[in-house]
Amino acid sequence: MSTVTAESQAAAGHLPGRGRTARSRLARRRRRAGILLSLPAVVVVVALLGIPIGQAVYYSMTTWNGLTSTWIGPSAYSTALSDPTFWRVLENNALLLLSIPFAIGIPLGIAWLLHEHVRGWRFFRSVYFLPTAVSWVVIGMVAVQFFALQGLLNKMLSAVGLGSFQTNALAGQRSALVALAITFIWSMLGTNVIIFLTGMATLDPTLIEAARVDGLNRRQIFWRVTLPLLRRFVQFSFVITVISAFSALFSLIFVMTNGGPGFGTTTLEFFVYQAAFALGEFGTGALYGIILFVIMIVVGLVQLRLIRSAEGEGW
Amino acid sequence: MTAAPIAAARGGRLAGVTARRRLRNGTLFAVMCVIAVVMLYPFFYMLDNGFRNQAQFAQQRGHSAVSWRQLFTELPVWRELLNSTIICTVSILLILAVATTAGFAFAKLRYRGSGVVFLAVVAALMVPLQSIIIPEYVNLGKLGLINTYLGAILVYVALGTPFATFLMATYYRGISDDLIEAAVMDGLGYEGTFLRIALPLSWPAIATVTVLQFIQIWDDLLVGLLFLQNPQQRTITVGLAALSAGRTTSIPVLMAGSFVSALPAIVVYLIFQRYLIRGLTLGMGK
Amino acid sequence: MRRWTLVAGVAVTAMIATACGSSGGGGGSGSTSAPVTLTIWHNYGTEQNATALQNLAKAFEKIHKNVTVNVVSQPATNYFALLQAAAVSKTGPDLAVMWTGLFTIQYKDFLVNLKGKVPAADFARIDPSALKWTSDRFNATNGPYVVPLENQFYIGFYNKADFAKAGVTSVPTDWSQLFAACAKLKAAGYLPLTYGNGGQPLGAEFYPWYDMSYMMIGAHPLSSWLQLYSGQLPWTSPVNAAQLNTWSKLHSSGCTNSDVLTKTNNLGDFETGKAAMMVDGTWDTAKFTGALGSKVAAFVPPFSNTPINGVVDFSGDGLSMTTYAAHPTQALQFLEFMTTPQAAGIINAAGLIPAIKGTSTSNPVNQEMLNFVSQDHMTVYPMLDNVVQPNVVNTGSKVLPSVLNGSISPSSALSSLQSTLGQLPSNQRGNSYP
Repeated sequence: MSTVTAESQAAAGHLPGRGRTARSRLARRRRRAGILLSLPAVVVVVALLGIPIGQAVYYSMTTWNGLTSTWIGPSAYSTALSDPTFWRVLENNALLLLSIPFAIGIPLGIAWLLHEHVRGWRFFRSVYFLPTAVSWVVIGMVAVQFFALQGLLNKMLSAVGLGSFQTNALAGQRSALVALAITFIWSMLGTNVIIFLTGMATLDPTLIEAARVDGLNRRQIFWRVTLPLLRRFVQFSFVITVISAFSALFSLIFVMTNGGPGFGTTTLEFFVYQAAFALGEFGTGALYGIILFVIMIVVGLVQLRLIRSAEGEGW
Repeated sequence: MTAAPIAAARGGRLAGVTARRRLRNGTLFAVMCVIAVVMLYPFFYMLDNGFRNQAQFAQQRGHSAVSWRQLFTELPVWRELLNSTIICTVSILLILAVATTAGFAFAKLRYRGSGVVFLAVVAALMVPLQSIIIPEYVNLGKLGLINTYLGAILVYVALGTPFATFLMATYYRGISDDLIEAAVMDGLGYEGTFLRIALPLSWPAIATVTVLQFIQIWDDLLVGLLFLQNPQQRTITVGLAALSAGRTTSIPVLMAGSFVSALPAIVVYLIFQRYLIRGLTLGMGK
Repeated sequence: MRRWTLVAGVAVTAMIATACGSSGGGGGSGSTSAPVTLTIWHNYGTEQNATALQNLAKAFEKIHKNVTVNVVSQPATNYFALLQAAAVSKTGPDLAVMWTGLFTIQYKDFLVNLKGKVPAADFARIDPSALKWTSDRFNATNGPYVVPLENQFYIGFYNKADFAKAGVTSVPTDWSQLFAACAKLKAAGYLPLTYGNGGQPLGAEFYPWYDMSYMMIGAHPLSSWLQLYSGQLPWTSPVNAAQLNTWSKLHSSGCTNSDVLTKTNNLGDFETGKAAMMVDGTWDTAKFTGALGSKVAAFVPPFSNTPINGVVDFSGDGLSMTTYAAHPTQALQFLEFMTTPQAAGIINAAGLIPAIKGTSTSNPVNQEMLNFVSQDHMTVYPMLDNVVQPNVVNTGSKVLPSVLNGSISPSSALSSLQSTLGQLPSNQRGNSYP
C-alpha cells in the first residue's frame, strides 16, 4: 500500500482505483490511437517520398536519361565532389545562409507590431501577405527592374544623396547574390509573419499581463517573455526559411539571373535543376539532389541542437 | 507622502510619456506604411504593364487593353483556372486530413519510437523536389497516373504533408496535456478527443496550412508540367509558362495572366484570414 | 464524423473528376479513312515559328480530311526534360519539335530514324546541308531524325540611316573597321552596338553564342570546329583568347552599352534607331523590317582580323517523330508535307526562310543573308552551340557574357570551358561526332 495519495496520482495523470491494469489499458489505447492517427502521414511519406529518394540514391550512381541507365558506382560521388564548380556553388549556399537571420528577424518584429495592434494592423496584415500570392516570375521581373542600372534602387539612392553608391547589382557575381538574398527576404516576409502571428495566438495572455504588472516595458516583454515562448515557432520558421532558401528559390533565380553572372547565383538547387532539366542528365541531377538533401538534414539537425540547448526543453 | 503630490507628479510625467508614445506610434505607423508600399509594388507593376501592348511596354508609356484580349485568345484561361482549382482543393483537403491526425499523434500521443518517426517525417521536408521528381514520375507512370488529376494530386500531397504535419504538431504541442487527459477520462477516447477537442482548437494552424499550401501548389510549375502534359488538364501556372517561350515573350500578356493567376490565392487568403482572426481572438484552451 | 464524410465525399468526387480528366486514348492508327488526331508538341511560344506550324497544320488538314492536327504549345523551359519524361511514360506526342545538331543526337533514343520511312525524293528537296546536321555522325546518308522547318542565320543587323548620318560609308568586314565604325557612330550620338536580354528567355543574360560563333569563324576554318568538340583544339588556345580579348574591348572602348548584362530593352533601342548595330538572328528579321522598313539591313559580324568569310547558316530546329507515336502513318505524311513547295510558301509567309531547295524568301533582309552564301560565296558554318557539347554550351552561357562586361577575364572563362570539357566522359568528346 503506497503512501501516494489519490490526488497526487490523479495530478500525475494516473488513474486511481484499479491501479496498474487501468493505467496500462489507457496507455495501450493511447499507443494504438497514436499509431492509427499517424499512419496515413507515414504511408504517404514513405510511399511517395521515401521510395523515390531511395531510387534517387540508386540512380545517382548511374548515367540515366530516363530510358536507359549505365552503372557508374560510388565513384560518381568522388567525381562530383572534385569538381571545383561544385564547391563554388556550395559557397553560394553558405553565403545565402547569412540572410536567414534577417528573413526571420524582420517578420518577427513585424508580427509583434501587428500583434500589439498598431494602428491599422488588420489592413497591414493583409497587405504584407499579398506578395506571397504573386508568382516568382513576376517577383523576379520586378526585382530585375528594381536593381537595374536605371532602376528604382539607383533612383532612390541618388534621391537621398547617396548617388555614389549606385550599382548595377545583377552584373557582378557577389552583388547579384546579395540582390537575390534581398529579394528572398522580401518574399519570405508574408509567410513568416503569418507563422509568427499563429504562434503568438498560442501565447497565454495572462503571462504577458503578469509581466506588464511586474513593470516590464514593451521591449522587455518581447525579449524576455514572448520570444522564449515562441521558441517552437522560431524553430519552425528557421527550418522553413532554410528549406525555402535551399530548395524553393529555383524559379526566382531562373528569372532574375539564370544562375549568373558566371556562377554567382547558382545555388545547389539550381545546379540540380540544370543537370537534370537543362542537360537531361537525370543521374547527375539525382546525385547533386542527394547531396542537397543531406546538407539540409545536417543544417536541420544543427539548428535543432542549437535552439534546444538554449532552453533545455525541446522535441 | 500624500496622494496629491504623487498624483500631480505622475500627471506631469504621464503627459511626457504619452507624447513620446504618440511620436513612436506615429513613426511606427509611417514605417508600416512604407513597408506596405514595398509589398504592394508588384501588383502595381502587374496591373500597370498588363494594360499595355508590346510597344507601350518598351516605351513604358501609354495603356491599352489589347494584351488582356490576347491572353484569353491564346490560352484556355478558364479551363486552366478550373484545373488549378480542382487540384488545389483536393490536395489541400487530403493534406489536412493526413497532417492534423498525424500532428496530433506526434504531439500528444507519444508511443515508443514516435519521436524517430516524427523526425523522419520532418526530414522528408528536406527532400528537394528536383531530386525525386523523375523517379516519382517513373513510378506513377508505371501506375498509369500521368495526365490524370490523381497523379498530380498525389505528388502535391506527398510534398505538402511533412510541412503541414510539422506545423500542426508544433501547434498541438501548445495544447495542455491536462485538457486532453480530462477529455479522455470523460469517455471520449483519444480519437474522439482529437475530433471534438483538438481539431476545433487548431483553426489558426489549419488556416495557415491551407493558405500556404494553396499558394505553393497553385504556383508550382515542375509537377504540373510533367504530370499534366495536355492542355485540357494543364494548370494556369504551366499555361502561363507556355507564353514565355523562346525568344519573344509578350510581357504585357504575361503580366495580365499573372494577375489573373494571383487573384485566387488572394481570395483564399482573405477568406481564411477570418478564421485566423477567430482563432487568434478566441485564444487557447480557455 | 461529419467532417470525415465531407472529406470522403470530396475524395470520391476527385476520383470521378480524375476519370473524366484523364486523357482520351488515341483513335485507331493506320486506317486512312477513320478519323485520326495527330498530336504535335512545340516550344515555339508565340513566335513566327508557331504561326508557321499552325498554318502548316491547317493546310495539312485540308489535304487529309480525316486528320485533325492538335498543335500543343509546351513551355520552352524544361521542354527537353518534358520530352524525355514523356518518352518514359509514352504519353508524348506523335511529332515533336527537336533542335538539330548535338541536340538530336542526345535525344535520338526516342526519335525515329527517317531513312526509308520518308521517300528519298522528298529529302532531295531539302537543302542537303540542313539534313546533314540531323543525322548520325552528321552524315546525311545515315538517315536524318529531324525534318527541318526553316533556315536560320546568326547575323548582324544595322541601321542604314544611322550609318549614313555618322559617315560610315562601308559595312565593316574586320575588327579594325568595326572599331572605326563604332568611333564614328559614337561621335554622331548613336549607340554603336547594343547588347541586352531583350528577346531572350526571361531573366537570361544575352546569349553569347551568336558572338562566339563568329569569333570562332574568325579564328578557325570550318574543319577545325570538330577539334573544338574533341578537345584537340583546346578552348584555352591563344587564338581564342585573343579573339575574346578583342571582343571585350568592344565594351571597354564604349562601342556597346555599359549594362550589357542587365539591359532589358536592347531590341527597343535598335527598333527606334538609337542603336546602330545588333547581333541577333532571323527570328527577329520580321520585327526589324516592320519597325524600320528599308532602313535595316544585314551584315556579317566582322569578328576577325582578316575580312570575315563565313556566315552561320543553319537549320536550328524541325519536327521529328517519336518512337512511340500512336499514328505513325499520318505523322510520316505530315513530315513529307513539310518538304513540299506549298509548305515552303506557308513557312515563307510567316517571315521565315524555308529550308527547301530552290525556294526564296520574300523578306528582303532575309534575302540579303541568302545572298551572302549564294552570291558572296561565304562559307556556311553551323551554329556553334549546336555542335559543341551541351555542358560546354551551358558553362559558356554563364561565363562568356561576363567577359564582354569585363568582370571575368577571357583566360579564366576559357579555362572554365576547358575544364567542363575535360570532365565529360570520353564517349562525349570523341574524335568524331557521335
